[in-house]
Amino acid sequence: MTQPDSGQYGHLLEHEYDGIAEYDNPTPGWWHTIFLGSVLFSVFYFFFFTFSPMALTEEEQHAEAQRREFQKLFAEIGELEADQATILSLMGDPQWMPVAEGVFATNCVSCHGSMGQGLVGPNLTDDYFKNLTEITQIAEVIQNGAASGAMPAWGNRLHPNEIVLLAAYVADMRGRTIPPGTRTRDPEGEVIPPWPPVPDSVSGE
Amino acid sequence: MSAARLQGHEGGGADAARANDHLDEFVYDDKIVRMFVWATLLWAFIAMLVGVVLALQLALPEANLGLAWVTFGRLRPLHTNAAIFAFAGNAIFAAIYYSTQRLCKARMFSDRLSRLHFWGWQGIIVSAALTLPLGFTQGKEYAELEWPIDLAIAVVWVGFFGVNFFGTLIRRRERHMYVALWFYIATIVTVAILHIFNNLWIPVGVLEFFKTGEVSSFDNLMKSYPIYSGVQDAFMQWWYGHNAVAFFLTTPFLGLMYYFLPKAAERPIFSYRLSIVHFWSIVFIYIWAGPHHLHYTALAAWASSLGMVFSLMLWMPSWGGMINGLLTLRGAWNKVATDPVLKFFVVGITFYGMSTFEGPMLSIKSVNALSHYTDWTIAHVHSGTLGWNGFMTFGMIYWLAPRLFQTKLYSVKAATAHFWIGTIGILLYVISMYTAGVTQGLMWRAFDSTGRLAYPQFIETVTRLAPFYWIRAIGGTMYLASVGLGIWNIWMTWRTRPPQYDEPIQYAAPLSKNYQDPPKPESRLHANIAFGDKVDVNILQGWWHRRLERFPMKFTVLVIVAVIVASLFEAIPMFTVKSVVKTIDSVQPYTPLELYGRDLYVAEGCYNCHSQMIRPIFAETKRYGEYSKAGESIYDRPFQWGSRRIGPDLAREGQTNPNAPWHARHFAEPTDTSPGSIMPSYPWLFEKKIEFESIQARVDAMAMLGVPYGEAINNAPQMAREQAAAIALEIESDGGRPNLADKQVVALIAYLKRLGTDILSPPAGDATAAGGEE
Repeated sequence: MTQPDSGQYGHLLEHEYDGIAEYDNPTPGWWHTIFLGSVLFSVFYFFFFTFSPMALTEEEQHAEAQRREFQKLFAEIGELEADQATILSLMGDPQWMPVAEGVFATNCVSCHGSMGQGLVGPNLTDDYFKNLTEITQIAEVIQNGAASGAMPAWGNRLHPNEIVLLAAYVADMRGRTIPPGTRTRDPEGEVIPPWPPVPDSVSGE
Repeated sequence: MSAARLQGHEGGGADAARANDHLDEFVYDDKIVRMFVWATLLWAFIAMLVGVVLALQLALPEANLGLAWVTFGRLRPLHTNAAIFAFAGNAIFAAIYYSTQRLCKARMFSDRLSRLHFWGWQGIIVSAALTLPLGFTQGKEYAELEWPIDLAIAVVWVGFFGVNFFGTLIRRRERHMYVALWFYIATIVTVAILHIFNNLWIPVGVLEFFKTGEVSSFDNLMKSYPIYSGVQDAFMQWWYGHNAVAFFLTTPFLGLMYYFLPKAAERPIFSYRLSIVHFWSIVFIYIWAGPHHLHYTALAAWASSLGMVFSLMLWMPSWGGMINGLLTLRGAWNKVATDPVLKFFVVGITFYGMSTFEGPMLSIKSVNALSHYTDWTIAHVHSGTLGWNGFMTFGMIYWLAPRLFQTKLYSVKAATAHFWIGTIGILLYVISMYTAGVTQGLMWRAFDSTGRLAYPQFIETVTRLAPFYWIRAIGGTMYLASVGLGIWNIWMTWRTRPPQYDEPIQYAAPLSKNYQDPPKPESRLHANIAFGDKVDVNILQGWWHRRLERFPMKFTVLVIVAVIVASLFEAIPMFTVKSVVKTIDSVQPYTPLELYGRDLYVAEGCYNCHSQMIRPIFAETKRYGEYSKAGESIYDRPFQWGSRRIGPDLAREGQTNPNAPWHARHFAEPTDTSPGSIMPSYPWLFEKKIEFESIQARVDAMAMLGVPYGEAINNAPQMAREQAAAIALEIESDGGRPNLADKQVVALIAYLKRLGTDILSPPAGDATAAGGEE
C-alpha cells in the first residue's frame, strides 16, 4: 500500500506495520504556534489569577455584583423602614410592586401558590391570619419565620428592602379574587381587622 | 528529521542469519474479535434504546410509568454506563484484539484470558444493568457501580485484559511498537489507575459483618461510603470522570483510528512526528483538566484555574489526532464518496475535532458560568459519543465485517443509509440541545429592567425546553434506527459467511536477542555544544523515541510516570493544604435518619437532575440563596453537587422549603405542588419501609471514616425512629397522609429539611456556652 508518492504528500519512512506506512512530515507550523501560545497564555493566566492581588476572587466578584445590583435597584428609595406607613404607602405601587412580585415568585409560590391562594402555606388572599394581627407583623413573619420553622426565616436571604416590599405585596394580596375553580387552602387562624387606611399624605400626590 | 535513516537491523553475523531463517507459524484469533463485535452491536442498541426512553421521559414525564426501576434518576446511570463501558468498551476491545495481534505479529497471549476478559466484561455489564435500576449506586457519575462490581472491573481489566495485552506485547514479532499500541498502553494503565483511586470505599455490610457477625439488610451489603468526602470527593470524581473521557473514549479510539483509518484508506499516516508529539502531550496534559467540571463551585480557585488552563493547552494535542486522521486521507478523498467506512471515519474524526475545540471553550470559566448545569454539556458529550465514538466504531465494524466473516458486506447501500440517518440524528440531537442549553442558561441569569430575575420561577425555564426535548428524542430515535439498520446489515453479512472460516497461517521471525539499533545520526548543529547536540539527535531527529518504541515496559513506565506525576501535582495540595476545606463550626454530621435519607437520595439518583452547589454568581444566589461553601459538605460521602439542573438546585432546600407536608405532596405527585413539573412521582417511597436496624451499621461506617457521631454510635435506630415520628406527625397534622413514620419518604424529607441549614445554626461551641448561662 505504500505508494511511490513520496514527493507529493511527504517523505515515506522506511518502517511499516501490518502494511501501514508513515510519512516523515513535519508538524504544521500553525499547530506549533497555537500550542505554544496556549501554554504561554496558561502560565500567565494561572499565576495572575492565583497570586495577583489585582485579580478579584469569585467571591469578591460576587460581593461586588451583589452590591452593584442592589445599589442600582434601590438607589431611589434608600433604606426602607418596616413600619406601617411605609408598608401601606408601597401597596399597589406601580414601580415597586413588580420587584416584590419577582421575590414572591422566586421564593414564596411553592408553598403559598402562584396567586397566594395557599397550598401547604396559608391562603394569603382571605381575611384569616394565623401568625399576625397587624400589617407590620407581615414583615416580621417574613424576617423571622413562623409555625416552628414551617415558614422559614427569610431575614438571612433577602435584602431588608425586599422584605418591606414583599410585606406590602402580601398585604395587598388580601382580598384578591381568586379565579373560580382554583383550589385554595382552607382558612386558618382568625379573621383580623382590615389593614389601616392608606394615609392621604403618602398616597395622594 | 532523518528518521528514515534510523532503521536498525536484526542481529548481525552468521548466528543472526541462521536465527532469521527460522519463521514462527501462528494464527490470529479472530473469533474473539467477532465476539466483541457482536457484543458491541448488542449493547449499542440497548444503551441507545435506554437513551431514547430517557429523552422521552423529559419530554413526557408520564413515560416514567410510576415504576421505581425505570425512573429517570435510576435509568440515566444505566444509559451512561452502557454507552461508555458496554458499547464503547466492547468496541475498543474488538479494535484492540484485532489490531494488536497484527501489529505485534502474534496471537493474543492467552486464549483463556481473552475469553475470561470477554465473559467477565459482559457479566459486569449485566450486573450493572440489574443493580442500577434497583438503586444500588455509588452516586458518582460514570462510577455508579457499587463496590462488588468495582472489584470485578479491576480484576477483569487488569488481571485478564491487561495481562493478556502486555503478554502479547512481550511475545511480539515486530520490533517497534506502532502508534496505535502506544494509545492502547496509555488506555489500559490509566483507566486502571483512575478506576482504583476513585473507587476507594468502606463497604458498610462487610464492616457490619466483622462487628456483629451478620448483615442487617441486603442494601447494607451492597452499600459503600467513599473514603473521600465533599470537596475532595468531588475532585477525585472529576479527575476520574474527565479522564474516563480521555482514556476510555479518546485514547483507545485514537489507537483505533491509527490502525483502521490507514487500512481503510490505504494511505500512509500523515506524520509520524505529529503522532509522537500529540501522544505525549495528550497523556501528560489530559490528566490535569478534571477540575474544569467544578468551576465556580466550592473547589479551591487554584484547582479550577489549573483545570481551565490545562484544558486550553489540550486543544492542539487533541487536534494533532484530528490532523493526522484527516490528512492521512490526502490522495484518498475520492474514495470517501463511495466507501461508507471512510464516510464514518471522516465524520467521526470531524466530530472529534469539534468536541475537542468545544471542550477547551467550555472550560473557560466565563463560558462555563453559562453552560454549566445546562443541556449544553449534554450536547457536547453526545457529539463526542455519537459522532466520534459511535461513528469510529461503526466505520471499524463495516471494515471488519467482510474480513471477519470472510464474505462481502451484505449491503453497501444500507451502510450508507446508516451513515446518513445517523448523521442527521446527531445533528438534530446536538443542535436542539445546544439551543436548549443556551436558552436555559440565559434564562437563569436574565434580569429584567426592574432588577428582578426575569424568570423567577425555575419551572418557567424547564417548560420552555419541551420542544427541544422532542426534537432531541426524534434525533436520538433516528440514531437508534440507524444502528438497528447497521445490526441488520451485519447480521445479513454474517449469514453469507463460509461454512468454515479460513484461518490463514501467518509467518514471522521471532525477535532476535541481539538487535542493533541504527547508528546514532550526526548532530546537525555545528556549534559544538554538547547539550544542543544531544537535543538535536535524541529529540529533534527522533533517535531516542524511536529506540523507546521497542521497549514496551519502559514505554509503559513512562506513561505511568506522566499520568501519576501530573495527578499528584493537583492531588497533593488538594489533600494537604488546609484552606482547601475551610471547616465551619456549625456544620454537624447528619442525624441517623438524615443519613439514611441521604442514601435514598443517592439511590434514587436525585443528583441526575438536581445540583447541590450554588455558585457565587449573583443571579444564582438571588434564586437559591447563599452560595455553597467547601466546609458545608465535609460529611457528604459521596458528594452530591451534581452536574445538571433539570430541576432546581437543592443546596439550600432546608432553608427555603423545610415544609414536610409540602415535600410529601410533592413526592406523591410533583405537579400537585409545582404545576408544569417534569419530575416523576415517587409512590413507592410511601410504601417501602425504613430499615431502622440497618442504620446503625451506616453510622458506624461513617464514624470509622472520622465523622464525629457522638450519641448516635450507640443509639442510631432509636434516634432515627424518633425523628421519623416527628416528621410523620408534621405531615399528618397538616392533613397529609397518615402513618408514614416508618416509610422511606420521611427519611428523604428529613435529609431535605437539613440541606444547607447548618450554616445558619449557631456554632456548636456557642450553643454550649449559651446553655451554660442559663
